Amino acid sequence: MRIFRSLTDGIGFDLVLVGAAMAFLLAMAGLPLVYNVLMSFQQVDMFTLGSLVRPWAGLDNYRAVIAQPEFWLVMKNTGLFVVGSIAGQFTLGFALALFFHQKFPGSATIRGLFLVSWVMPGLVVGGIWSFILAGDYGVLNALLQGAGVIHAPVFWKSDPNLSIWAVIIANIWLGLAFNMLLLSVGLAAIPRDIYEAAELDGATAWARFRTITLPMMRSTIGAVLSLGLIGTLQQFDLFPAITEGGPANTSNVSQYWAWQMSFKLYDFARGATISVMMLVLVLVAAVVYVRSTRSEVRG
Amino acid sequence: MKKLLLALGVSVMAMAAQADPVKLVIWGLDGDNGLIPKLAKEFDDKNDDITVEFRAVAFDDLVNETLKAVATGNAPDMISLDNPDFAMFSSHGAMLDITDRVAKSQVIKPDSYYKGPWNSVMWDGKVYGVPKATNTIALFYNKDLFKKAGIANPPATWGELLDDARKLNDPANKVYGLTWSARANEEGTFQFLPWIQMSGGSFQKVNGEGAVKALDLWKTIIDEKLASQDVLSQGQWDSTGTFNAGNAAMAISGPWELNRMATDAKFDWGVTLLPTETAGGARSSAMGDFDWGIFATTKHPDEAFRMLEYFVSQSDRLFPEFSNIPARSDIALPSTGDARKDEALKVFQEQLKYAQPRGPHPQWAKISKAIYDAMQQALTGQTTAQQALDQAQATIDGILKG
Amino acid sequence: MNMVKRPWAWFGFALFFAAIYLFPLYWMYVTSLKSQSEIFASPPTFWPNAPDFGAYPYVWFQRHMPAYLWNSLVIASGVTALTVFFGTGCAYVLARYRSLWVDIGLFTILMLQVLPASVMVTPLFVAFNQLGLLNLPRTAVILGASAKAMPFFVVLTRAAFMSVPRELEEAALVDGNSRLGAFVSIVLPLVRNGVLVCAILTFMTAFGEYIYSKSIIQDADLQPASVGLQAFLGPNSKDWNSIMAYSAIYVTPILAIFVLLQRRIVSGLTSGALK
Repeated sequence: MRIFRSLTDGIGFDLVLVGAAMAFLLAMAGLPLVYNVLMSFQQVDMFTLGSLVRPWAGLDNYRAVIAQPEFWLVMKNTGLFVVGSIAGQFTLGFALALFFHQKFPGSATIRGLFLVSWVMPGLVVGGIWSFILAGDYGVLNALLQGAGVIHAPVFWKSDPNLSIWAVIIANIWLGLAFNMLLLSVGLAAIPRDIYEAAELDGATAWARFRTITLPMMRSTIGAVLSLGLIGTLQQFDLFPAITEGGPANTSNVSQYWAWQMSFKLYDFARGATISVMMLVLVLVAAVVYVRSTRSEVRG
Repeated sequence: MKKLLLALGVSVMAMAAQADPVKLVIWGLDGDNGLIPKLAKEFDDKNDDITVEFRAVAFDDLVNETLKAVATGNAPDMISLDNPDFAMFSSHGAMLDITDRVAKSQVIKPDSYYKGPWNSVMWDGKVYGVPKATNTIALFYNKDLFKKAGIANPPATWGELLDDARKLNDPANKVYGLTWSARANEEGTFQFLPWIQMSGGSFQKVNGEGAVKALDLWKTIIDEKLASQDVLSQGQWDSTGTFNAGNAAMAISGPWELNRMATDAKFDWGVTLLPTETAGGARSSAMGDFDWGIFATTKHPDEAFRMLEYFVSQSDRLFPEFSNIPARSDIALPSTGDARKDEALKVFQEQLKYAQPRGPHPQWAKISKAIYDAMQQALTGQTTAQQALDQAQATIDGILKG
Repeated sequence: MNMVKRPWAWFGFALFFAAIYLFPLYWMYVTSLKSQSEIFASPPTFWPNAPDFGAYPYVWFQRHMPAYLWNSLVIASGVTALTVFFGTGCAYVLARYRSLWVDIGLFTILMLQVLPASVMVTPLFVAFNQLGLLNLPRTAVILGASAKAMPFFVVLTRAAFMSVPRELEEAALVDGNSRLGAFVSIVLPLVRNGVLVCAILTFMTAFGEYIYSKSIIQDADLQPASVGLQAFLGPNSKDWNSIMAYSAIYVTPILAIFVLLQRRIVSGLTSGALK
């Protein structure tokens, strides 16, 4: 009876709530993680996927991955992809959130339309952007040429200097809805009267943004950036549709490379190794998020 | 008494056989004009002692799903796999060795098959499958544009191909001389390997003089803007789409294009064999399409082989009903009712004689990546053709040795 | 400044931005109506030369879309229910305290997101196979996909719980409520809208679940719409009309619900529903 009481009341109640969720997550996401980490230290034959006991390989897979001629190119692209996507998603998302924060007719309805990218199947998003970004029949070039911005077609997908940007553009589009929505929520949580007081004191719009909006939004921004980073690191639907990581790996990033290794080249050990290496990046995201929760203000 | 028991046993067994038909599971490509589910259903209906269950798998997932199934003991009885992937399974003992069964079969005659497709089901001198169908690539050309440019015949050599592309190229009207696919995936290798083979190379030897010359030719075509730079990122289907739209005068692709082209292209078109390195030089081409195979783990090898024989016996229906080209030279294709298509099919059937499988090699995917990576490195000017192909050769040597 | 006209200028800008953003959606519809070769015409056509709606009935009947959509609905509902069930309480506790343990909890939840679904599906397949769950494939997918949706849900819902004043809950406890009682009767009603919105977002993500479904659900009658889309991608051809028509059929209803319910979803989320 006392045990039951402690489960509905007191600390036991908290432990049950967190414990149930954690147990579920550890089983469904933790075990696959362990499986992959383990695999990165093993020799994996493609027909031994079903077992955990395989010959030990130590750090051989890690050495082999780093020794691949494309390793550093892929790392550089990954950095560019993450920074470019997040910078684009975040600044545009923030700008739109601020814009729609103004009260004007239809603001809520139109903002609702921006959530479209949330429900589009990845394969279709990739296909559409592949059409839009095509050099000759692509509509982006047609518009830019019509506006006189460019005079010759730009081969977004096939120019080795641009191919990674082709995927970044598509990914910014895809992630914008998420950024805008979360930042809108954060903005709405700031009491209006603080702004009104500042306005009376004669603070400019920029000063109000810097001294009120940004500090009050710190925790939201932390959540958006860290979730955005995780989302970006998992994004690979766009790659097979737009560039296949080419030309010559100039748009290949680690998550797509890992996927290629495992599911196109059937080298599961190296695929897992690359995934595990990406753990470091998610570690950064998790730390950013956890730190940002420290500056939360309780309502 | 003993006799009675025996008789009883036999009749019980017979009853059991009647009550409990053997279940065969077959996996295959989703789509493909419904070929597998239709034939499987017919076989099911014709045989009271057998039921067949079909699972459709998307093209991109077929190998991965199969690997997972084999690894966890859930493999189906039979499958149809893309031919370059077949060796990965046959070399690992995942497929049933059907050498003896084929030798005894009244239906399956290895001699009636084209060499290329038949090689793709062989491993270590043994037969592990039967080609389902086949295809290859050749050169499509826009006859109207050829006439306009004053070119009488389609190109027969690499040199003529370049010359014609220069003559046909017309940027003002948004027409490129040529289009094909040099994409960073299997399609890129599918399109480039024939050029290596025409010049005397193979997937084991990719850095010969002729291969370098071919790659340099491709690079010249892109550098002179005789083809869209997007050949580096678009697949064959999209690339030929630009040909159909009238934006390219020539396109390299296969017979799967015929139906769409016949409906969509608003110009007269034809197909010719892939140009050779020199006049009358060695021919080669790529070989596509799937192979049937029975898994070694099947509990019903006899019934599965009967199903395979049934499929093979229906080969003459492949083309009229499913637009698949039989991998056999003894089956004449009936007329499609469209003279251009019939003409084109004759060319493809001629080209098929020179079609070579990719591999067979258990690590084909890695060899293929070495080839398309090298191709793309040279085409984007990051290294010379020679350097790129040398690096690919080093990678391939490592794979062949290992 | 003219205070009457200005909002309409904002409205104009908003429409302009939305038009740019929605252009890819427009391209999806237009592509579904073009001929297979017009898609690749240079220069591109902004409106099909001869709009052909044939792809719509084709994909609807050929691919048995009603069954696929039903399965998507079942899977999305299951994922949402499970995520809300496990996630809400977890988010509540993680919002209630501030301690090293909470930090560790949040950290763990995010770290469990490290792997893309494509890498997680093999071990899950192996495990489900051992447990016999492959015979209940939709359930298996729901289990896997819920774990994938959970971190996101917890982070968002936690923000909603953060906005509930602690005093309210404490007052309820002083009045003699148990923790469970206070949670159910005081805290939950206050965050109802926030949880609802997070649930809707989870539902929409789960509606498009693809990677687990294609591998775990082998029976075509039980597969969701996202898997059915793959059939148009052959080894040598991509039926772009059908792909676009299929996804238009599949996206448009959700889009319509979005626009109809947006007052509840977006304005609810942003104008104090989380407060």
